Amino acid sequence: MSTLRLRGGRIVDPANGIDGDLGDLCVRDGRIVELPAAEAVDHEYDVSGMVVMAGGIDLHSHIGGGKVNLARMLLPEDHRINRRSDNPLELASAGCCTPGTLATGYRYAEMGYTAAFEPAMAVSNARHAHLEMGDTPILDHGAYVMLGNEEVFLRMLAEGQDVERVRDYVGWAINATRAMGVKVVNPGGISAFKFNQRKLDVDQDHVHWRITPRQVVQTLARAVHELGVPHPLHIHASNLGVPGNVDSTLATMDALEGLPGHLTHLQFHSYGTEGSRKFSSAARRLAEEVNARPNISIDVGQIIFGQTVTASGDTMRQHANADLGSPRKWIGADIECDAGCGVVPFRYREQSYVNALQWAIGLELFLLVDDPWRVVLTTDHPNGGPFTSYPHLIRLLMDKSFRDEQLAKLHPEVAANAELREIRRELSLYEIAIMTRAAPARLLGLTDRGQLGVGAAADIAVYREDADREAMFTTPEYVFKDGALVARRGRIEATPVGGTHYVEPEFDRGIERSLARYSEAHLALSYRHATISRDELCSCANGGALLPCRLHGRAERPA
Amino acid sequence: MTATLAPVGPAASGQTWTCPFCPLLCDGYTLDASRPALVDSACPTAAAALAHFGAAPLAATALVGGRVGGQVVDAEQALAAAADILAASRQPLFAGLATDVAGMRALYRLANDCGAILDHVRGDALMHSTRALQDRGVFYTTLAEIRNRADLVLCLGTNPAAHYPEFFRRCAPAADAVQGREIVFLGARAAAGVAGLEGCSTEEIPLAGDLFDTVALLGARLAGRRVGEVPPVLEALVTRMQAARYTVIVWESASLPAHGALIAEGIQRLVNTLNRSTRAAAFCCGGGDGGYTANQVLTWLSGLPLRSGVHARGLVHEPLRYATDRLLADGAVDALLWVSSFGPELVPPATALPRVVLGHPGLGARLAPREGQDGGQGATVFIPVSTPGIGAAGHLFRADGGVVVPLAPIHDDPLPTVAEVAAALCARLARRRAIAGGAQ
Repeated sequence: MSTLRLRGGRIVDPANGIDGDLGDLCVRDGRIVELPAAEAVDHEYDVSGMVVMAGGIDLHSHIGGGKVNLARMLLPEDHRINRRSDNPLELASAGCCTPGTLATGYRYAEMGYTAAFEPAMAVSNARHAHLEMGDTPILDHGAYVMLGNEEVFLRMLAEGQDVERVRDYVGWAINATRAMGVKVVNPGGISAFKFNQRKLDVDQDHVHWRITPRQVVQTLARAVHELGVPHPLHIHASNLGVPGNVDSTLATMDALEGLPGHLTHLQFHSYGTEGSRKFSSAARRLAEEVNARPNISIDVGQIIFGQTVTASGDTMRQHANADLGSPRKWIGADIECDAGCGVVPFRYREQSYVNALQWAIGLELFLLVDDPWRVVLTTDHPNGGPFTSYPHLIRLLMDKSFRDEQLAKLHPEVAANAELREIRRELSLYEIAIMTRAAPARLLGLTDRGQLGVGAAADIAVYREDADREAMFTTPEYVFKDGALVARRGRIEATPVGGTHYVEPEFDRGIERSLARYSEAHLALSYRHATISRDELCSCANGGALLPCRLHGRAERPA
Repeated sequence: MTATLAPVGPAASGQTWTCPFCPLLCDGYTLDASRPALVDSACPTAAAALAHFGAAPLAATALVGGRVGGQVVDAEQALAAAADILAASRQPLFAGLATDVAGMRALYRLANDCGAILDHVRGDALMHSTRALQDRGVFYTTLAEIRNRADLVLCLGTNPAAHYPEFFRRCAPAADAVQGREIVFLGARAAAGVAGLEGCSTEEIPLAGDLFDTVALLGARLAGRRVGEVPPVLEALVTRMQAARYTVIVWESASLPAHGALIAEGIQRLVNTLNRSTRAAAFCCGGGDGGYTANQVLTWLSGLPLRSGVHARGLVHEPLRYATDRLLADGAVDALLWVSSFGPELVPPATALPRVVLGHPGLGARLAPREGQDGGQGATVFIPVSTPGIGAAGHLFRADGGVVVPLAPIHDDPLPTVAEVAAALCARLARRRAIAGGAQ
């Protein structure tokens, strides 16, 4: 048994309604407990003058799997410039846009984050994704399986099969891949590109299967909801990056028909066609819609100026954008009749009108959506920028004068005209704590994470107060993972193996007979390898804890 | 390659099995574990590899010695001798690297402890595809996509069945595929009687010059550029590629000549040009002996692919300079850790350097005896290891990159895995550091 006490900190814990109360926080065996003030503990930390929050949770960060590793291979120049850490606890691991998994774990933990979720795990690439996440030290992790472009699913939809049967398939896929949720990427569009279709609007037919993205979104959202998966359908909408895509984004929200849906990297889907350049911000229009629709949550996918690489399952849109990439090289793939992949390097430039406006649109979304519980702070790492830029982003959101300074550096038309100029809102520490911890935990159904109540896991970040919020959030004084000190003032102190979050929805196993037949006739992997067992997950995940997540409307299941 | 690969008999007795011996990782055939041999595939690669195993685990002992013959030692003595070699080395090379995901994970940790450079036994071939990817990118496809979509398969400079015998069966058209499939062998022989070609039309077209010339010519014509004399068959091929719904260009990295990365780049240009109007993708046959696995694991852990070194100043990636042969020839390394867990045939390169060999039990007898001192120049430590998919579970990457296939053992093996040996060496080196630190 080991205990610790953080004495005299300013606790910011929105999940429990605590906003800056001074107090002690105690931990026993990795969980938060109440201890009498007089009770001796193994370790006591004086954190007076510091802000105590739950560990950060990134619900959308491309940290593991095929396309991330391809991005690493594509950009050796991102990794060549490196220096070996003098910390013997750190194994060598390099990279800025797409660091190695080891560096990913170290840099997240140093920044006060204790969990990250890979949002785009292809069915056929699930083992690979879990292997990489298992080699991402310290962080807990999980992944959303990409559905909505597999030929087997589109075929079921085209054949008009019962919703119950499609739901069984979705339940099977989540279990087979050990996923935490379901993501749909360019609904139907990845498949359509394989049939040489170059554009797919929400109500347009897939050239081969004659189904629409609206049907795909509706079907998946319903299945995910009915299966009791806590995280709403995670949606990368149609027409990513296309001027005027605000219409298809709104149509995608409509397709949900009131069911929960999480629209991811909304910045890339918030473009109008006004002005002489036919490219404008539709952030206000979308923010108003989000405000009016309580079933919708979003993350932003803020862009950060500089070099990065975009890694997406959206082959259709990445192929279209490949000519805009910098440097001019890219990777694409058609994958196993279930997915695609496009990796395009990008350099976001302050003097580019389009990039400057994208930057402003992201911030406008953060600041115009009223309810912080429905907006999660992301850069869609690495697509908008690397996760290491979160402290900079937090300062932009908390500090109007800093924001204005940055805006003034941008393309003059954007600097002069962006609606962002007029937005005075500065987010509070409480709101930042919601967007980076409490809200993602709630949206994922993690009841004992993202908060500091008694019984919660002791994932804790302690920040030294600093008016420069970027400096404050870059280097927390202490970071604890399950009660163990893992980072102190930017230096790694321990590298425990993180756990895997996943859900195990129930489904009718009768579906497996037809899936096995389909697999035999069409796929290239034996059906006996279609499902990752718990034991295999454990070996992929390097022996980390298995953390099955409670389903909605069901009692907790034993691990 | 004329052997028929049609099923040779019903799977009367046997067990489902995943073959680790080529990067197609066939998991749909049956193994008779009593021999062991495949029941429903005549794959010569699998048959040859399985001949190195028995129905029961192979007995093997570690060997230590620089002197002729080597001396049988127990596992602890072997580990101590191996740790001696690594601890004394100022710049070790970890090569061969024919192992699985777990093996590479553990070897990377050991490489950090020793400051090693890592290269694979198929490094030259891997670098053709890796360097082209780093400079231009790639557009690739996978086996199931080929099954369901490809109406034109262009085998460029190779018949993939020669080295990947089950290739055409693994990507044979789905039974309900709407279109037929043409298979064109450009600069390669179309072997008859190969399973998986039923219902496909096949054709041989000669190269126009060498492979470099031919790929350049195709590229120019696909892009609509006029170039001198184009053989009519190539001109017709260009037209067919433009008309096809899904062209797959199959190539083999190990069959390319020097500067093969330029051909790989040319193939990428062909695919990119086609993708502006129709659909196409490339499929590279390569990555055997755990090559793709080693490359993937090293890349995700370190951020850099094979032919990288973990140095005190940081990670260094040198796709040419860190080739095993060149490092040995240049005298740039002073010890060799050779890993070859899939069979006895990948022997370490000739060198007088101290060497630690983790290998198939049969590899020990194949190590060339040599003169030398224990622990010093010429020292050899051989530690027999289990083979993933025979004596141990494991994971390997399939040739198409993103699919990881689990391997299950066919019997319990008393031999340790590569991962276990690497972890034991890490522990020994850590103990030595602790003792050395305590003594100061």
